[in-house]
Amino acid sequence: MLKYILKRVVAMAITLFIIISLSFFAIRLIPGDIAGENAAPEIKAAMEARYHLDKPLGEQYAIFIKNFLSFDFGESMTLYPRRPVFTIIKDKIPLTLMLNVFSLCLTVPVGLICGIAAALKKNTIIDHTISAMVVFNVSVPAFVFASLLQYVFAYRLGWFPFLLNLDATFSFSKFVSMILPILALSFGGIATITRYMRAELFEALNSEYMLLSKAKGLSKVQSTLRHALRNSFIPLCNVIIPMFMGLLGGSMVVENIFGIPGIGSLTAASIQTSDYYLTIAVLFFYSIIGLTSMLLVDLSYGIVDPRIRIGGGKVRE
Amino acid sequence: MSKKNMKLEVPKPLDAQEVLKEKIPPEMFEQVAGEKIFDQEIEGEAIGFFKDAYLRFKKNKAAIGAAWIILFIIFMAIFGPMMSPYHFREQHTSFGTMPPRIPILENFGIADGCVTMDIFEADLEEFGDAVKEIKSEYIWNYKGREIKKVIADIDMYEYKDAKEHYFIFGTDNIGRDLFVRLWRGTRISLLIGFISVMINCVIGVTYGSISGYYGGKVDMVMQRFAEILGGIPFLVMSILFIMVLGAGVSSFILVLIITGWIGMSRMIRAQFYRYKDYEYVMASRTMGAKDRTLIFRHILPNAIGPIITQATFAVPSAIFSESFLSYLGLGIQAPEPSIGVLLAEGQRVLTSSPHLTLFPALVVSALMLAFNMFGNGLRDAFDPRMRGL
Repeated sequence: MLKYILKRVVAMAITLFIIISLSFFAIRLIPGDIAGENAAPEIKAAMEARYHLDKPLGEQYAIFIKNFLSFDFGESMTLYPRRPVFTIIKDKIPLTLMLNVFSLCLTVPVGLICGIAAALKKNTIIDHTISAMVVFNVSVPAFVFASLLQYVFAYRLGWFPFLLNLDATFSFSKFVSMILPILALSFGGIATITRYMRAELFEALNSEYMLLSKAKGLSKVQSTLRHALRNSFIPLCNVIIPMFMGLLGGSMVVENIFGIPGIGSLTAASIQTSDYYLTIAVLFFYSIIGLTSMLLVDLSYGIVDPRIRIGGGKVRE
Repeated sequence: MSKKNMKLEVPKPLDAQEVLKEKIPPEMFEQVAGEKIFDQEIEGEAIGFFKDAYLRFKKNKAAIGAAWIILFIIFMAIFGPMMSPYHFREQHTSFGTMPPRIPILENFGIADGCVTMDIFEADLEEFGDAVKEIKSEYIWNYKGREIKKVIADIDMYEYKDAKEHYFIFGTDNIGRDLFVRLWRGTRISLLIGFISVMINCVIGVTYGSISGYYGGKVDMVMQRFAEILGGIPFLVMSILFIMVLGAGVSSFILVLIITGWIGMSRMIRAQFYRYKDYEYVMASRTMGAKDRTLIFRHILPNAIGPIITQATFAVPSAIFSESFLSYLGLGIQAPEPSIGVLLAEGQRVLTSSPHLTLFPALVVSALMLAFNMFGNGLRDAFDPRMRGL
């Protein structure tokens, strides 16, 4: 097990290294001059010294990696001039986190309930309705759904405010303004969990141990709760852990549409204003979240399900 | 029982050479069974793999419907722009953000080029004949002054003197026809989807075959490589690449390829692990079949169903990625449209001209829905055991 963990951590470190290197080359290769085209030579020299552009490439690379690993991402250039990137990101996290926790509180229970209902009532009207909903949810992109919600409920019906209420304190009106973004954020996740839950539970219900538990004389409720449900939860960590980790990532598009000043809209804004250092820092942040969640999934899989197959020759011995 | 007692008498195997040396005359052989075979003759036509799948697919009404929707959208993506008298970059600056107006439907009050507007009563004269119906009047209290306002249906085509034009899906803010732009955008989105999926299939199948067939060290190295590459989040990778390469059809395809093949290669590898120990493969190997024959003739054809299914599911996700990136401002550069670019443009003016969001959203949703349904149908047809899972 230790060897397995070690292997995963090494793979993750290599991936992270590749991401940092890609970021470095991206920054260096982006067309255009850092000081602007018509800058005076002194300004240009000062800028180059500031961003270490006057040093040889190898040294620049070493400085870049060292800075990244110590979370020093430099300063924002266009979006929030001269503010350290790290503090900008830090300021944006709480709001995104709050919205995503709320959306998760909606996504996981609703998804599980829909999935369980569909699997237990397979091939009935309930199952068909839920399945149709899942296909719809999977097919309609979240940004289309968010636009639809905004147009219908905020603009036409006027039930909810158009944009997020940005009061510092948490109030009822703020919560009301958060409902639409939360719905938009939960939209895809519910479908994913439902689909997984339905497939896993259905498979568990048809397995032989269920027959055994029936033969033992357990009631349907007992056998479903104690055996089928438990077993079908195992593969779900594959879906739910990344969702928990994805909390901080947030959804760029939904944040953009509802005017939420979180990490997602920061990313989009930094791309649109060509604030490269900011963009790359946010991307690095996303990478760490993604890699950690993958590692957690792998480890939880190794613990929960020891049947992971590794290796094997051309012909099985 | 002790182990010594378990020793069995193994008869010495006959030496093949000795058997051959012994000459047996043909008369000594005797035919045991009669010449006639008494099995019942097989009736009816033999049904091949694809025919079987087709027969099953045909029964799935939703999948058939989805196939027709996909065909229709592809048809419109190819020929749609030619049906309209306008060009995708032709600007009619005086006819900005016109609402949709469709020839026959306009007589029924749908898509008749009318907009419901909230205007001052004093301005009504300016609109003249363009005012079709006054829905309600009210008094607006502005800083203590009472101003009369009306909510009225106004025929924008009449008002802007554009009666001879039919902008079927309306126009955008600089008066470009949305109908032409939408189908042209669909064409580009589909092109990105299809090309990237095809390349991914080729890379994924080759990579997965080699990794799965040879196993051992080769497999381990290849899997580690794929794992490390697959660890880079898609968003991170795509934004970095597009920042450097600039947005365009080819850089979108490249971004979709870099990590897109990994899923396909995993599936193929699993197929190889499953089939490479089967007796028929062993038999073929014993008879001297080369690795290439085993891979391409004996093992890979088993995976043809899952390959087609997975490729079908990959197309909508490629289209989705494209529109998502466009939405973030990394889209195809103007003036070329794509569905994502149109949606991003529409979102900015969602309340004033919802038609700019509505039509691209409808097309992209229909396309994704149809591809997903079609993929489901294919999966059930190729592998009936998976039905409903």
